[in-house]
Amino acid sequence: MESGAHSATMETGWGGGAAPFGASWQKTMMWIFIVTDALLFSGLLCGYAFLRQANSAPWPDRTEVFSIPFIALMTFILITSSATMGSAVTAARLGDMKKALMYVSMTIVGGAAFLSCQAYEWSHLIHEGARLTGPIAGSELIEKGVTPQFTQAFFVLTGFHGSHVLSGLVILIITAIRTSMGKTPPQGVEMAGLYWHFVDLVWVFIFTLFYLL
Amino acid sequence: MSEHAPGANPYKIYWVTWGILLVITVAMLGAEMFHLPRLFLVLFLLAFMMVKAAMIGGNFMHLRFERSNLSWMVALGILVTSLILYTFITPESWHVKATSAPAAEVPSESTH
Repeated sequence: MESGAHSATMETGWGGGAAPFGASWQKTMMWIFIVTDALLFSGLLCGYAFLRQANSAPWPDRTEVFSIPFIALMTFILITSSATMGSAVTAARLGDMKKALMYVSMTIVGGAAFLSCQAYEWSHLIHEGARLTGPIAGSELIEKGVTPQFTQAFFVLTGFHGSHVLSGLVILIITAIRTSMGKTPPQGVEMAGLYWHFVDLVWVFIFTLFYLL
Repeated sequence: MSEHAPGANPYKIYWVTWGILLVITVAMLGAEMFHLPRLFLVLFLLAFMMVKAAMIGGNFMHLRFERSNLSWMVALGILVTSLILYTFITPESWHVKATSAPAAEVPSESTH
């Protein structure tokens, strides 16, 4: 009896009878997830703002610590992968799953390239003596004015973002495999796309607030 | 330029958006290089960060084409909550800075 009532709810989708957002429940749930995940990054960025504003030592010059052209390249890769993902969603909606698969594959290449760049950036900084708890004693980073607050903010922000890129990549690979098997509905590509664009959106904020500002 | 006829080329909007995002990114990097006055630079970067976010949310994530209920819930939900959080922690960070300033001067090499 309980399962009967449950399936009736599933059929109407909302139980309340109306779809206030004019979107399928899948898309609505995806958006609610994105809002909560955005608030995670909002919290992390505010934590970074706190560390930076409460720090009485001057904040290190990012152009000395990082190679800004390299960060710009990472940004370019991510923006491009977002554009190919948008094209994949449109191709899927138009019913051209072959084209959708091609664009999803291009997005996977872009995501992998971004993660490789980030792995290089991390290993480079760790090699220079950066740790989550701060620069190690005697490293040249200290001469550049790098503080523990700086490395904490760097590793936590880019680490959380990178983990999102990685999970987005896994979602995209699953989507690509299922699309090639003919199992992904157009909306499945759209859901994966929403998540991927969200990862790009978060990078816009990290790039501006951490690397440039 | 801002008109995208949905019938003509459905892929165009993504590549136009891509181009705009790229131009804005280059402009932000350029502003960083020219050593503009700090306040002007901060305002410039924050303004274009929001433009980029709106471009991605609106065109890539299709918020422009969803029912306005959904778009407002998402945009205002995130923005207002973030602003409240930031507004509440900022005075506390100033307080921490003011009270910890003497201790921080000891290991610092700077003379001021």
